[in-house]
Amino acid sequence: MKRFLASLLLGAALYSAPVMAQDGPLRIEITEGVIEPLPFAAPVFVPDTPAAAAQATQLTQVVAADLIGTGLFREITADAHIGTVSDFSAPIQYADWKAINAQALITGAVAVDGDKLTVRFRVWDVFSGAELGSGLQFVGSAEGWRRMAHKVADQVYSRITGEGGYFDSRVVFVSETGPKDDRRKRLAIMDYDGANVQYLTDSSSIVLAPRFSPNGKQVLYTSYESGFPHIHVLDVGLVQQRVLEQSEGTMSFAPRFAPDGRTVVFSLEQGGNTDLYALDLASGSRTRLTNAPSIETAPSFSPDGSQIVFESDRSGNQQLYVMPANGGEARRISFGQGRYGTPVWSPRGDLIAFTKQNNGRFHIGVMRVDGSEERLLTASFLDEGPTWAPNGRVIMFARETQGAAGRSALYSVDISGRNLRPVRTPDGGSDPSWSPLQD
Amino acid sequence: MQTGTKISGIAHLGLIAVAIFGGAFRSEPLPFEVHEVSVISSEDFAALSVPRQPPQIADEPAAPEPPEPLAETPKPIARPEPEPVQAEPEPVPEPAEPDDAVVPEPTATPEIDRVAPEPVVTPPEDARPDVIEQAEVTPDEGAETPQEAQEATAPEQATDRIVTEAVETARLAPLRSPRPPRSRPTPPAPTPVAEPAPEAEPAPDTSTASAVDAAVAAALAGPATEPDAPVGPPLSAGEKDALRVAVSQCWNVDVGGKSSQVVVTVAMSLDQSGKVIGNSVRLLGSEGGNEQSVQTAFQAARRAILRCQKTGYELPADKYAQWRDIEMTFNPERMRIK
Repeated sequence: MKRFLASLLLGAALYSAPVMAQDGPLRIEITEGVIEPLPFAAPVFVPDTPAAAAQATQLTQVVAADLIGTGLFREITADAHIGTVSDFSAPIQYADWKAINAQALITGAVAVDGDKLTVRFRVWDVFSGAELGSGLQFVGSAEGWRRMAHKVADQVYSRITGEGGYFDSRVVFVSETGPKDDRRKRLAIMDYDGANVQYLTDSSSIVLAPRFSPNGKQVLYTSYESGFPHIHVLDVGLVQQRVLEQSEGTMSFAPRFAPDGRTVVFSLEQGGNTDLYALDLASGSRTRLTNAPSIETAPSFSPDGSQIVFESDRSGNQQLYVMPANGGEARRISFGQGRYGTPVWSPRGDLIAFTKQNNGRFHIGVMRVDGSEERLLTASFLDEGPTWAPNGRVIMFARETQGAAGRSALYSVDISGRNLRPVRTPDGGSDPSWSPLQD
Repeated sequence: MQTGTKISGIAHLGLIAVAIFGGAFRSEPLPFEVHEVSVISSEDFAALSVPRQPPQIADEPAAPEPPEPLAETPKPIARPEPEPVQAEPEPVPEPAEPDDAVVPEPTATPEIDRVAPEPVVTPPEDARPDVIEQAEVTPDEGAETPQEAQEATAPEQATDRIVTEAVETARLAPLRSPRPPRSRPTPPAPTPVAEPAPEAEPAPDTSTASAVDAAVAAALAGPATEPDAPVGPPLSAGEKDALRVAVSQCWNVDVGGKSSQVVVTVAMSLDQSGKVIGNSVRLLGSEGGNEQSVQTAFQAARRAILRCQKTGYELPADKYAQWRDIEMTFNPERMRIK
């Protein structure tokens, strides 16, 4: 008994000892924070030459607009600035920027020499009093100042978020004019933010579902030029197109490049049945990937090219399936209520974006590649056709409004479901496809 | 015919007879409602259907008897005159929203674009958030020149949760106050007094008391104190919570980014005013993510520590030895998009 009591007391004393005394430094765990745009200041870049003043202002505005458009940043406007940056090489007066709560500071300088434009910039972590990365300089033609601004913004975004940017990219889409019952469609290409729109086809025939090649130099699309849907390929630089897949008595549609750019996977309708096929671009040989009486369409490769996600109604209604890239057994990944379609694998490889129709509403959503953690990001009368930004952080899609006067327009949304915003296009837009970052 | 067959045949016949005559196949009648009625003749029915004569109404109602006069006439209650209603000022036309803010489909609950630690309700229509935040300014007393009072900028509408367009949930009140929990006043720290070491080993257990004393003495003598371990009483839970809340208010988590998959532990040293000493914030360790994600997570943690220190974290000065060196772990698991 005595021994037992002694042991009990000894145990209790030993147990309580660490609570009373602190061993080493104070340890704190933070598990909750805030979610808000990071405030930054971008004073107008210093013009190194008098001729560069106007372009310095424009360029700074585009950089700021790119960052604000992500929803992750908030600009502290110039009229709130205490400090000024009149010399790109002068030391930063951090106190001036701390006072206005600017967490990041972007300084830059612009020089114009004939047609040559030079942009230098630095990014500063104000509260740490340190530079994020090191200074960088871009040289290009004065005509391409917008691209220069996008490249600067990509670098700033990358240094603060630790992820690749997506501003120096383009989007190919179907430009739509006219009422719903007489809609004219043509392919168009633009900067990611809706600037510099150019038309790639005329509106003499219906065009659908353009898809960029991995290098961004070619576009696959479906055209009704022959009266039936067939796949065409278009060289973006030369604006020249040719028919890629056209067999007698068949319809081909929903094409998409493999990540290596050597193979195109698409749907082929033959004798009333639609299956997936792969076309080797070098040899022209066609391989059948699925063989089912149901409709298989909308294929999309995983970033490593090993798998394909597609939609099929083999279970009775439209659902998503994943199979090996060379065909084989498909595994169903969508099990929620409603119908799922147009799946697109994220460039990061971790998520699959899709269109979902349920209870008379359309949604753009994302799920893990095994079908788990489904999240719906949008809801409207008609949302469809998601496409991923090159960094896998933002999704662009088409939204059509209800009624005879309904209009289709492009929108983008962050994968967190925040920052839903329209993408300005001259006319209506649908079927967007986001290019990779430009070289 | 065999006997068994006969018995079986007779038994079956008997069973069938019992079933037929015993009512085994008789089904219960379906339930139905019964209403009792009485049969009346057509004359009686006609008599019942004749419209009733209207009641006789007197030409003039009898005048009511006047009430007996009260002993005291009550005084009329004086009612306050209503104040003249001031004419409402003419509504100021709202400035046109910029095109960029066009929302395609207005929803019942307005979409709140800003997420902040504390939710802010929609400001009144006539108090729109300004681009530049304006603090409330009241005129100085005794100022010679007339000064106008300036109203503070209306707080920007904000929510503390991400609500996607697809999943709009009911707005809930915060479950707990975002204010740092108030800690109790700290009693003056007692001067640490070294425990006297037991003079001699206790004698072999001869009684319960000696055994207990021996155990306590052994526990107190216990493991040798590390030379770097701070002395004095540790911070209370409330004091730790206050520091935790102070830093978390400045920890901005990019919930959609790869850095939200990373847990970082940073170390720092504070001076006696509660401010971070020089560049003492350093990365101690991390879990998850690649090198770039870790660096991004570390930068966000460092910004949080440095930004929210202002004039120094409020920590009990008498326990400086306890919080001079701090290791802080930033774990975004709860904030990740699920």
